[in-house]
Amino acid sequence: MRNILTALAGALASAMLAGSVPGSATAHEQHRMECSETAIHAMHADIQAMGDGEAKTTATKEMDMAETMMAKKDMDACMTHMHKAMEAIEK
Amino acid sequence: MTDSPTSRRHWLFATVAAVALLCAIAATSLYGGIFNVAADVPHSNAVYWLLETMRERSIAVRTAGIVVPDDLTDAKRIASGGGQYAEMCSLCHLAPGMKRTEIARGLYPRAPEFKRGSHLTPAEQFWVIKHGIKMTGMPAWGVTHDDEVLWDVVAFLRKLPELTPEQYRSLVESAPKTHGESMEGGQMDHMNH
Repeated sequence: MRNILTALAGALASAMLAGSVPGSATAHEQHRMECSETAIHAMHADIQAMGDGEAKTTATKEMDMAETMMAKKDMDACMTHMHKAMEAIEK
Repeated sequence: MTDSPTSRRHWLFATVAAVALLCAIAATSLYGGIFNVAADVPHSNAVYWLLETMRERSIAVRTAGIVVPDDLTDAKRIASGGGQYAEMCSLCHLAPGMKRTEIARGLYPRAPEFKRGSHLTPAEQFWVIKHGIKMTGMPAWGVTHDDEVLWDVVAFLRKLPELTPEQYRSLVESAPKTHGESMEGGQMDHMNH
C-alpha cells in the first residue's frame, strides 16, 4: 500500500512538473504587441537595422501610420499597422 | 587686399569666441545628460547613420592586411563553426528556425540576423568576431579563442543563409566537441557562456 501511495505521489509530481515546463516555455513566446511608445521605439530600432529595400519601406510607412493612429488615440488601428510593420520586418 | 592689425585682431577674437561657445555647448550637453543612453530609445536616423558609417569605415580600414584562409568552404571547418555559433552567437544573432529571443529584441543596436546574409567580407567578419565592437554588446571573442576557431565561425557564417532549420540542427549536432579545448588554457567549459 505504501509503495502504491509513493508511486502515485511520484506520478502526480511528475505530471505537475511536466505541466509546468510548457507553461514556462510559452511564457517567453507571449510577447504581445501593444501600441505604446516603448513598442514603437523597438520597432524603429528593428527598422534601422534592416537593409534598404521594399520591406524596409513598407515597415517604415506602416510605422508612420501606426504613430498617426496612436496620436489620434485609435489603438486598434495603431495595432493593425504595427502588425503589418512587424510582418515586413520579419519577412 | 591687405589685412590690417585691427582686422586680424577681430578675426582672432571671433575664432576664440566661436571655439569657446562650442566648448560651452559640448560641456553643457555632456554634463547636462542630454544624450539619452537608454537602449529602448533608438538614435535619430542622422546619429544612427553617423555611428554606422564610423563603424563600417573603422572595420574596413583595420581589415586591409588580413589574409583569408582558402579553405573556408571546408566541411569540417563549417561544422566546427556551426557548433561554436550555436553556443556563442545564436542567442543574439539567431539561427534558422529560431524565434527572436528576448535578448535579441532588447539589444541596441540590433544584432544582425545572419540567416539573412551579411554584407561584410570574410576578413571583416573575422575582425569583428575577434575584436568585438564597442557599445554594441558584441564581445571580443579573440580574448578567449584562437584565430583558427574564429575562422571556423566565419566559414559557417558564409554557409548559414543557405541552411534550412533541419540542416542547421543537423550541422550543430555533428559539430566536434572541441570548444572547451580551444578556450584559453583549455579550462573553460560550455557553462562559461
